[in-house]
Amino acid sequence: MTKKKQTPRKPEASHRPREKWGTRMGVVLAMAANAIGIGNFLRFPVQCAQNGGGAFMIPYFVAFLLIGIPLMWIEWGIGRFGGKYGHGTTPGMFHYLWSHPAAKYIGAIGIFLPFGILIYYNYIVSWTLAYSAFSLTGKYLSVPDHHAMVEFLAAYQGRVHNEYFTGYMTPFIFLFITIGVMTWILSRGVVKGIETVAIWGVPVTFVIGALLVWRVATLGTPDPAYPDRSFLNGLGFMWNPDFSALKDSKVWLAATGQIFFTLSVGFGCIQTYASYLSEKDDVVLSGLATVSTNEFSEVLIGGFIAIPVTVAYFGVAETMQIAHSGSFDLGFNAMPLIFQKLPAGQIFGTLWFFLLFIAGLLSSIALAQPMMAFLQDEFKLSRRSAAVTVGGLCLFLAIPVVIFLRHGFLDEMDFWLGTFGVVLFAFVEIILFIWVFKPHNAWKEIQMGADIKIPRIFFFIMQYVTPAYLIILLGAWLSGDGMDILFMKNVQPENYPYIWFARFLMTAILFTLFFLVFVAWRQNKHRIQQRIPA
Amino acid sequence: MTLAGWIFMIVSCVSITILTAYTYWKMLTKK
Repeated sequence: MTKKKQTPRKPEASHRPREKWGTRMGVVLAMAANAIGIGNFLRFPVQCAQNGGGAFMIPYFVAFLLIGIPLMWIEWGIGRFGGKYGHGTTPGMFHYLWSHPAAKYIGAIGIFLPFGILIYYNYIVSWTLAYSAFSLTGKYLSVPDHHAMVEFLAAYQGRVHNEYFTGYMTPFIFLFITIGVMTWILSRGVVKGIETVAIWGVPVTFVIGALLVWRVATLGTPDPAYPDRSFLNGLGFMWNPDFSALKDSKVWLAATGQIFFTLSVGFGCIQTYASYLSEKDDVVLSGLATVSTNEFSEVLIGGFIAIPVTVAYFGVAETMQIAHSGSFDLGFNAMPLIFQKLPAGQIFGTLWFFLLFIAGLLSSIALAQPMMAFLQDEFKLSRRSAAVTVGGLCLFLAIPVVIFLRHGFLDEMDFWLGTFGVVLFAFVEIILFIWVFKPHNAWKEIQMGADIKIPRIFFFIMQYVTPAYLIILLGAWLSGDGMDILFMKNVQPENYPYIWFARFLMTAILFTLFFLVFVAWRQNKHRIQQRIPA
Repeated sequence: MTLAGWIFMIVSCVSITILTAYTYWKMLTKK
């Protein structure tokens, strides 16, 4: 009888060391992929056109310097600090920043926000995949006008039934594909999955974006009967400054909000990605490279496609209306009509929506990674089990988002998580890192291994200016939209149950995470020590 | 497109391009 040959066993999950990024370029592109999202190509041009054109760039750059860059360095610093202790999510990171039992529960918000946002963001990403397929197959080519295109989108989303779509089958198929691809990438791990996809995906978005900019810039005046409808006038609509807008506080709020969304600060994702750095890896130059890559994609590519081409085909007056209807109207209703008229529009339409899909998918992966890291680090789940758990939960929890879209379910989640939550969390983390951990410790932590020196002025900005700016932002949102949304002032009475359901779902996820943090800390009592004071 | 529009556009794009080029150059030349 021969003995069965024994194959060497893989080490148990609990004994496996945490993954590390493979290359420096890989981590920069992965972080950039996190930041570059659908908003770079749709939200930014709309915000710019709506809020003073070129003058919008003044508050935009002010917020970039006073909020974006400091928060980005802080989050990279917190992440690398947590990774040193074997924690890839904010409960563990905050535990070591602040020796208080509450710290880890506050940190749970850093998993709750990205995971909650992921639930509905995946659905939006799936629309871009669907529209890329519709462009390729020519499904929307026969839709005659803007009104009909609005109906087309509404039918696709299941909000109405008409000749274009009936039921929820199509959106669920594309959602399933989107979540499936995301889960597969996550299951391959940090280097083989996230880093590899970012190394390919970010350049692909730049190449497709450059191709689209070239197409739009060479349009000239598409219809000689309307000489004022041109690419140049489109640029004018986007960039001509209206200085009176600078007196309006809403413009400053909009610019600050845009910086938050575009750099993905306050989401909890940067910390998780930074936790895969080595202790001595630079965060200052890498962080700056990440934000500059994102800004390049947003201003130099995003700013030159959607709005200029819409003006070239519809004129300034109609573009103004479209811009006021929001980013989705521009992306999913106006752009398909333009692709009907554009030479080789079917190909450019496919590319445009594929660009949005790649950008969105890479952000989805970053939003999923905190929950992945939490399950792997604190519960010792294998990579594959964690990916399947996250993917499965996303699919299950997205069901009400899809079905109740017309009742404002997604918008409710988006305000509390994607607008209010991220600013609140950014404020909490800056207080913990700068003030509780002590300013000189935080400054030392960020500068450790730095390839460039941070100007000393940022030490002052991080301590005083950024927190003050965040308080003003929170106060303005709460006193403005926040109160109306909290008390459902603009909600139709028949939608009340759905809004309450959205709130219940968010609360349930948050409390489940609190419970999981409690269980994890009980289980890992021997492993989780108090930080040795610096 | 007004002159002020051109100025805002060029200044925004050039400053972001310089920042991007500087960071990547620094990263690539750092041993």
